[in-house]
Amino acid sequence: MSKKWAALVISCLALCAFKIATQQLFEVPPNWPKPIYDFKKNPLTKQKVELGRELFYDPILSKNNLISCASCHSPYTAFTHVDHDLSHGIDDRIGTRNSPALMNLAWHNLFMWDGAINHLDMQALAPISHPDEMGDKIESVVLKLQHSKKYVHLFLKAYGDTVITGEHTLKAISQFMLTLVSANSKYDSVMRKQTHFTEQENKGYQLFKQHCSSCHTEPLFTHTGFENNGLPIDMTLNDLGRMRITKNPLDSFKFKVPTLRNIEFSFPYMHDGRFKKISEVLKHYTTGLVHGKNLAKQLRQPIVLSSNDKVDLTAFLLTLTDKTFLFNPKHTFPKN
Amino acid sequence: MLFVLIAHDLLFSQDNKLGVHTNYNQQTLYPEVYYKLNTTDSLQITSLKFYISNLELINGTKTVWEDKVKYHLIDAFDKKTLLLQIPPNISFTKIKFQLGIDSLTNVSGAMGGDLDPTKGMFWTWQSGYINFKLEGNSNLCKTRHNEFQFHLGGYQKPFNCLQTVFIPMKSSSNIILHIDVAKFIEQLSLSQVNHIMSPSREAVDLAEKITKIFSVSYE
Repeated sequence: MSKKWAALVISCLALCAFKIATQQLFEVPPNWPKPIYDFKKNPLTKQKVELGRELFYDPILSKNNLISCASCHSPYTAFTHVDHDLSHGIDDRIGTRNSPALMNLAWHNLFMWDGAINHLDMQALAPISHPDEMGDKIESVVLKLQHSKKYVHLFLKAYGDTVITGEHTLKAISQFMLTLVSANSKYDSVMRKQTHFTEQENKGYQLFKQHCSSCHTEPLFTHTGFENNGLPIDMTLNDLGRMRITKNPLDSFKFKVPTLRNIEFSFPYMHDGRFKKISEVLKHYTTGLVHGKNLAKQLRQPIVLSSNDKVDLTAFLLTLTDKTFLFNPKHTFPKN
Repeated sequence: MLFVLIAHDLLFSQDNKLGVHTNYNQQTLYPEVYYKLNTTDSLQITSLKFYISNLELINGTKTVWEDKVKYHLIDAFDKKTLLLQIPPNISFTKIKFQLGIDSLTNVSGAMGGDLDPTKGMFWTWQSGYINFKLEGNSNLCKTRHNEFQFHLGGYQKPFNCLQTVFIPMKSSSNIILHIDVAKFIEQLSLSQVNHIMSPSREAVDLAEKITKIFSVSYE
């Protein structure tokens, strides 16, 4: 009998230890919706997340072994590419869009500015294969990994198998990306009643709820859908956005609504990085909108903001900066 | 006694198989061969790959067997992919399969085996499996290297490319499933239609044509 009890206690402890270990890797912040990513199909483990992190920072994923995911998704700038309106890849080739910031990806079902990618696991295939990004093929990447002692060892640790597959490579990258959760900004502390907004931030929050939150919906600060936000068309790019994928004219010039979390660090803004400053973005929404046929219905009524309002709104947007996310040592280049 | 033994052998033979033969005009398809289209034009096939999924054996109207291996990537130039296992001692009058990958699987993330993205059957620029891939070249195609490329896929309405194929059977054993590329090419004007590489109306139309180029024989 005592043996049975001991076994029960040990298994309970093991279960608790497992729970704690998983919680450290990924946690749903309080009052957040249920994640969309199906963790049952790819349960997070420390070894797999670490493997994904190694892959994320390793230029081995590119054809010339010079460009890594982090080249365009740097941790200190909310995993986007600062200083470039359009991101560039191998041989200094310039793409057509600004690399999106990466965070809270477990809550998204479509990826890229046009939603071309239908699952986080499949996301990495796009930059790996794009001739202006990493210019390689998953087949040859897997072959390179297979010839690397380091990766054979890391895959063995993570999957108990020295055979490296595309599936395991992609799922490991997903694991790391899933851990990039930003939910610890001043805004979050205020929501958890641990601190207060200043008067100015609070005024800004009220303006935000009035004018912005129908698309940049809390707590993700995006409704994760696609909208035409009235940007004048850049004739040098003629980017049709979502329509490229759906071939539906109703989707022309629609782009995925980006999160505003860590907006202080994720400049430049818009799918083509045309705005460097938050003030330029606010100017666009107040006086720069092009009223095309499928302008987002949320933007059809003019947004009127005084210069004081803009200062207040900006003060609120800066409360979305999450330094524990931006400078989390678990997110940075792996040091062995 | 001998009769019983033979009957026993026939009934319990363990190797009932479904062979897949990839042909051009009823001849086995080879990558290095030029096939004549007429007196002046010819073509070469460099790649033929497609998915056979959710294979079922049907007797009358009743499904009598479903393949537990849901997805088979058939590669004309990789012999080991050209043999599917079906159970012995089972009577059926039809086989049913899907040409391609169902929509749920298309949105379910990274998978292994024949569905692994390293197999070159998953689009990278826009998520989704290529259900049927045919590549080659012909003097009829005024394209780079005279190439033609048909990557037929797409799982979203209105361009869902997945096709269901039914083939009636005369016998339940040692079946050979033929796919004859010539019958597909004959339905096209190759000089005009030679690059279909994204989900579209054209891709769906061509996928429907593919369903008609399957036939069976018995060994």
